[in-house]
Amino acid sequence: MRKMAIAQFAQSAGVESKENLMDFTYRISKEVLDKAGLKRSEVGCVVIASSDIFHSGLSCANAIDWDGAGAFMVEGTRAEDSMFAFIYACMRIMSGHFDTVLVTSIVKGSENPENDTLTGFFADPFYMRPLGINETTAAAMQMREYMQRCNITEEQCAKVVVKNLGNALFNPYAHVRKRVTVDDVLNSDVVSDPLKALECAPKSEGVASILLAAEDKAKKLTDKPVWVKGFGTSMDHFNLGDRDLLNGQLKIAAGRAYKMAGIRNPKKEIDVAEICEPYAFQELLWCEKLGLCGDGEGGKLIDSGVTQMHGASPVNPSGGVLAMNPYVSRGLYRLIESAMQISGSAGGHQVDKKVKTALAHGTHGFAGQCHSLVILEG
Amino acid sequence: MGKAVAIIGTGQTKHGRRNDVSYPELVREAVKAALEDAGLTPKDIEGVVSGTMPSMMEGISDTHLYFADAICEVGKPVLKVETCGSTGQSIAHCGFYWVASGAADIVLVVGSEKMFEGDGQATMSTVADPWFLKPFSAGAPGVFTMQAMEWMHRFNIPEDKAREAAALISLTNHDNALNNPFAHIKITMTIEDAKNAFIITYPVRLLDVCPTSDGACAVIFASEEKAKKICKKPAWIKGVGFRGEEYFLGESNKSIWPSATEAAKHAYEQAGIKNPLKELDVAEVYNPFTYQEMIFYECFGFCPRGEGPDYVLKGTFTMKGELPCDPSGGVLCTNPIGASGLIRLAEAALQVTGKAGARQIDGAKLALSHAMGGIDQFNGVTIVGADL
Repeated sequence: MRKMAIAQFAQSAGVESKENLMDFTYRISKEVLDKAGLKRSEVGCVVIASSDIFHSGLSCANAIDWDGAGAFMVEGTRAEDSMFAFIYACMRIMSGHFDTVLVTSIVKGSENPENDTLTGFFADPFYMRPLGINETTAAAMQMREYMQRCNITEEQCAKVVVKNLGNALFNPYAHVRKRVTVDDVLNSDVVSDPLKALECAPKSEGVASILLAAEDKAKKLTDKPVWVKGFGTSMDHFNLGDRDLLNGQLKIAAGRAYKMAGIRNPKKEIDVAEICEPYAFQELLWCEKLGLCGDGEGGKLIDSGVTQMHGASPVNPSGGVLAMNPYVSRGLYRLIESAMQISGSAGGHQVDKKVKTALAHGTHGFAGQCHSLVILEG
Repeated sequence: MGKAVAIIGTGQTKHGRRNDVSYPELVREAVKAALEDAGLTPKDIEGVVSGTMPSMMEGISDTHLYFADAICEVGKPVLKVETCGSTGQSIAHCGFYWVASGAADIVLVVGSEKMFEGDGQATMSTVADPWFLKPFSAGAPGVFTMQAMEWMHRFNIPEDKAREAAALISLTNHDNALNNPFAHIKITMTIEDAKNAFIITYPVRLLDVCPTSDGACAVIFASEEKAKKICKKPAWIKGVGFRGEEYFLGESNKSIWPSATEAAKHAYEQAGIKNPLKELDVAEVYNPFTYQEMIFYECFGFCPRGEGPDYVLKGTFTMKGELPCDPSGGVLCTNPIGASGLIRLAEAALQVTGKAGARQIDGAKLALSHAMGGIDQFNGVTIVGADL
């Protein structure tokens, strides 16, 4: 496989921005190119990540995003999810056709309706939508099943929120930055039983951009290349009733990425994990499926404290999606945080241990219908 | 550069108004046909790429989730790529790069649209931003008409001559569609019918405009090694290119359409094509509007700038002409948008492998396929050939 690395990256903060979509996209894409000392025309190709549904009421998301992302008259394309965009960019480099790819992901949550107004459109119009199925109600069913089958307690789920929002206090880009207690979480409004308001991710702004480069090029564009070692995606059935919500496709997606990266014991070899947890309990469930703890041991994992920022296996030192949720971009945010941890540039949210290998995970669809992950290495 | 990639199977639905099937059933029909064509089963597929037009077309977003079972995605690596009207070419390019990267040997690419379940023109109006562009764009015809007028005036093309040529393009495509078992609009018509059809937006008349269709297309890409093993006659990918230009129409020069010109140039470079009119045997041009087809001829180097109508009137692009264009009847007769660009590629592959039936161009060895999207903004091109 052709070696490739994240050469440069930039991200916006999650709070409401007064910039318009085009300016917002331009600023972050330009920041990455400036850091790399590249002109727009010197980039091999541009891959945009944006979603028609999470796109400020505009259709054909690539149309308005194109100019700002630096893609004018440059070879390019668009993927519906930022993890997809990044993985596709890797493939373009691996093919040998391109040496550099600029990946920019765009969501301006403040111009969108509530997340679930939009995720409701994932549902088919005939059978699921009349039932009110959206990402949150689907997650609530998954959480109930997880609690019952694996004896996970509501306190354990709430601890994820306390940990992640606590981490976010040190991340200047995070959207939600406040200290909360387990009681605060448990006493917050029930959104969809058993999910509480503080256990659900917010709706954030998020433009993030990564310059990916083949080995030779990467070394010229940065002092600290972060190598891409492996990636994997997998898709589950559409109908919730056809699925085992606790044993979905994450294990399979992870297996693909681990095999590519040569990882045999993820628990030992992954130094830090950035996991997409739009609902608090999902961090625990996804950790199990990623092999960071045994099946059914997600509750013990959070109780043990190893996933705390200064623990042995930190999870979501950025604050995760609970602190910042630009729907489509959230995968790229996980990648950027992983790259920061590896290059030691995470500042106040840099973990104590030395980070060699990091895992970035993304998911979309009901109860994790589709999973993607990328393994990075210093 | 990169591994060689081939098309080893294609499948299309019967396009048109498909009230007989649900949306997932529609895409399944194309996938099944492609698998049968390639002699494969779903378990042979190592990766799936899907794409459609904007979500609001059918009121379902992220359709790769909805189609998970229908397009054999379950348990497989997937990618979702969309670039509006040019989606069909962009998903094909994704399949190409996926295989070229070595990450998979067999990738299934599926494009679809079920336009009778929504309001296509209303949806397309939401591509324009609410402040500057939307007041000028009621659906697609307004935008394409402005471009047609700009082009005629820029190159001093008499409107009568362009009208005559556009009518001939309409006739050629509608005649060709009669030979295509998958085509949507199958009518017999005359040049006079095209010239007298009712006006949509001047100078574009009804028979200059594509329909809205339900339909899906699936194409299977394979590495050189697998293709040679599985397929007697694969269609090899010779070149790909994609370009996009400014969002704001007023800032761009649509008479020379840089994105179309450069996308083709990029693909020609890879395919080693210097004189496309001579070297290409057939082209499947994305032609939702007759006038645009002439502009594409000029952008793709089939004729000099401003001379599209002259070449059309000479019969250069008819079935018996020097470079037959859209023997399938093109987008003008069949337009399930998310599939349309991929149908162009599937048709090109059928031509170079001699499987195009009644619409076959004898001895076709090198073919161009193309799609356009956005607010007249994006163009993608794929060249396929009979030889590696």
